[in-house]
Amino acid sequence: MSYALVLLNVLLFALLAPFFEGVIRRVTARVQSRKGPPLLQPYFDVLKLLGKENLDSAGTWPFRIAPVLALASVLAAVALLPLAGKPNALSARTDAISLVYLLTLGGVAVLLGALSSRNTYALIGASREMITMILIEPILAMVLLLGVLEARSLDLAAVLAARADAGWTVSTALMAAVSLLALQAFVARQPFDIPEAEVEILGGPMIEFGGPNLALFKSYSMIKQMFYAYLPVAVFVPLTGTGVFALDLAAQIAATGLVFVLIGLLASTNPRFRIDQAIRYYAVLVLVSFGAIGSALCGY
Amino acid sequence: MGDPMTKDLANRIETRFRDAAVHVDRNGPPTVFLDIERTGLRAAANALIAEGARYQVGVGYDNLARNGSFGLVHAFSFDRGGLLVCLRTSAPGSDPVFDSITPDIPNAGWSEREYIDLLGLRFAGHPKPKRLILADDWPAGIHPLRKDVPHDLVPPAAEDVAYRLDEAPPGTTTIPVGPFHPSLHEPAHFAVFVDGETIKGCDYRGFMTHRGIEKLCTTQVSYNEVPFIAERICGICGSVHATAYSQAIERAAGLAIPRRAEFIRTLMLEIERIHSHLLWLGVAGHLIGFDTVFMQAWRVRERIMWLCEKITGNRKTYGMILIGGVRRDIPPELAAEIRRTVDQVESELSVIRKAIEKDTAIHKRTKGVGTITRDETVLWSLVGPVARARGVDIDTRRDHPYAAYDEMEFEVPVLDGCDVWSTLVVRLLETFESIRIVRQVLDRMPAGAILAECADPIPPLRHAISAVEAPRGEAVHYVITGEENRPDRWRVRAPTYPNLQGVPLMLLDEQFADFPIILGSIDPCFSCTDRVAVVNARTGAASVMTKNELTALSRGRGWRP
Repeated sequence: MSYALVLLNVLLFALLAPFFEGVIRRVTARVQSRKGPPLLQPYFDVLKLLGKENLDSAGTWPFRIAPVLALASVLAAVALLPLAGKPNALSARTDAISLVYLLTLGGVAVLLGALSSRNTYALIGASREMITMILIEPILAMVLLLGVLEARSLDLAAVLAARADAGWTVSTALMAAVSLLALQAFVARQPFDIPEAEVEILGGPMIEFGGPNLALFKSYSMIKQMFYAYLPVAVFVPLTGTGVFALDLAAQIAATGLVFVLIGLLASTNPRFRIDQAIRYYAVLVLVSFGAIGSALCGY
Repeated sequence: MGDPMTKDLANRIETRFRDAAVHVDRNGPPTVFLDIERTGLRAAANALIAEGARYQVGVGYDNLARNGSFGLVHAFSFDRGGLLVCLRTSAPGSDPVFDSITPDIPNAGWSEREYIDLLGLRFAGHPKPKRLILADDWPAGIHPLRKDVPHDLVPPAAEDVAYRLDEAPPGTTTIPVGPFHPSLHEPAHFAVFVDGETIKGCDYRGFMTHRGIEKLCTTQVSYNEVPFIAERICGICGSVHATAYSQAIERAAGLAIPRRAEFIRTLMLEIERIHSHLLWLGVAGHLIGFDTVFMQAWRVRERIMWLCEKITGNRKTYGMILIGGVRRDIPPELAAEIRRTVDQVESELSVIRKAIEKDTAIHKRTKGVGTITRDETVLWSLVGPVARARGVDIDTRRDHPYAAYDEMEFEVPVLDGCDVWSTLVVRLLETFESIRIVRQVLDRMPAGAILAECADPIPPLRHAISAVEAPRGEAVHYVITGEENRPDRWRVRAPTYPNLQGVPLMLLDEQFADFPIILGSIDPCFSCTDRVAVVNARTGAASVMTKNELTALSRGRGWRP
């Protein structure tokens, strides 16, 4: 049964992520007085890319494995998640550190692809991506660490549930605020789509990828995006009150959908920041997240 | 020259140029043509600058068949005095050397390089006499604007040539922006030298879409067809170029056009400005990654395009301007429609304006970005909103009135923020002023004819200059009339021509992420600069590459024919 839950995790994220991408596009379109594409458009995009020739423009093995590695890492990461508070076969054998590790591995795979493509724009994108990762990953770690402190355990199910059990303390409120403010950075949307900045560096790390490779990277981005939209729901408003797994999960997914609407609204009402402006912003968030951990240690 | 200020200025110029042959043209804005010796050119140009003149454009022309010489004109504008001054000089064909005025007036750099390429002139003391206009593989020694070079000449391409970029400053890497890049909407190549993400310099290689318009219009067509070709110099400010050309011809011919036609020209020019500024606002939003501004501005712009289709039959490239007047009248029901549309545009744009003015995120991306001082702006002779955002109070519509602008009441917004944000605000405010002008035109338009016939042939070898305030700044057209019912020389200087030369200065020490919006802030129109030179330079011998060959080439694995 718990192995079936692992499969459910993977399928749920892989199949729903493009739909939520479609939600963002629709919300953006409405803000811009447009009708917008069909909600299923991102599925069509991925399918179309999968049917194209796979360009191997760099001709090196890191370039070829990067997209697979990225998608595999993020799928492995979501496979660990105890959805709706219910541990599965993998979450019992892994912990919060595995989760951070797998997510970082996905980012590293993007860097690997960018750096091996030997393209000036990809290199700029990679350097921006690296800066973003260095500043943003600690925030994710702190969000989880807060749960670890509460649960006195690294077990993912316990970590994710810890906040809900503890109720709304100062540290929880601070960390929830940080998560919200870092949301656009986690999902690499405006104002923080800096590594990809289309008009400056033409998609940055992705520029040399096309066809199926690009489809893999796009799927990676969409699943990663869904993970980061799901995470604040799981940690701060787990909605696991009914005790029935299917209902709890449905509630969580619906809440995740609302987070996507928020992402779409924020993305369509902000210009892109410059990396130097973003660094200052991230630095403040990191400091506040440290503050939240500090106040949790002091018992608030 | 009834204005006392102009009279005083004209007197001073006459005193300074006592030895020069002076010719004054009063058809249109007062223009003084000064014929001077080439040895005194640099001193004369400096004397005009010292008097407060702004450099407009250089015009080189081939007079070899007539008197064995090359002519060169440097045009200046006294914006405060409402006076245009053209310094005319010449050099014998055997020794076509002039003193370069670029060391003192940096904006003359391109004009002079243009004639190095096109006429084979030489400029002593030019700081950067690199190829500007001709394609890299155009063979040396063929100067396409000379009269003995046919307009359709296709010489064999020079081999093993490539544009040599400026040396990158030490410690920098080069990021290529172009020839095709999403922040450029036309082909052009900037090599941006960056240290990390900080821009330390750049080199520009443009003029990639040579259409040979000037050559074409002085060899193949007649006066009356040129306005339509002029309109196609630019997809956005077509009426500007058609009006500027037509005015120059009317001045040369001494032709007065009906007042109603002048009003309709004013109407079209202002509608074009509203369209252009809305377009720019959208593009600017896109360049800073704010596509909602892009979509909303273009939604409003769409109304203007529908309106223009009703007035002229075209959404853009109106085809309204003719020598002697305009092609279509504005009947009363259309006037009512125009009023309704500008009312809608005004209210919808007010909403966007409020949203933008308060948006701190937009401030973050535009304030203090692309900063150059007022003095640098004046030194580089920049024009239009770019200059007005840096405290330089110039506007051709007010300074050298043409069409019906003498009767219009409007503000010229001038800001001193010296950055991209100020250019944005200037353009927003100007759009509202344009709407005001459109209403005044409709209120005051007199009845009458819309086209004057030019009964007599236009006398040859007359010089005329005409300046029109395009949405991007002042456009200057210089015409020398010819014997064959077409111009002997026609020089177009679009506002992007001076403004683009100021961009490297704006980019210096800025972040690379700001490159798109800084370049975008001048509202660059590369097609407006790419108008000269001859069409093609491919050899007939070039073989067609197969897809596999191209693929191999693009992957750097070498291509073997």
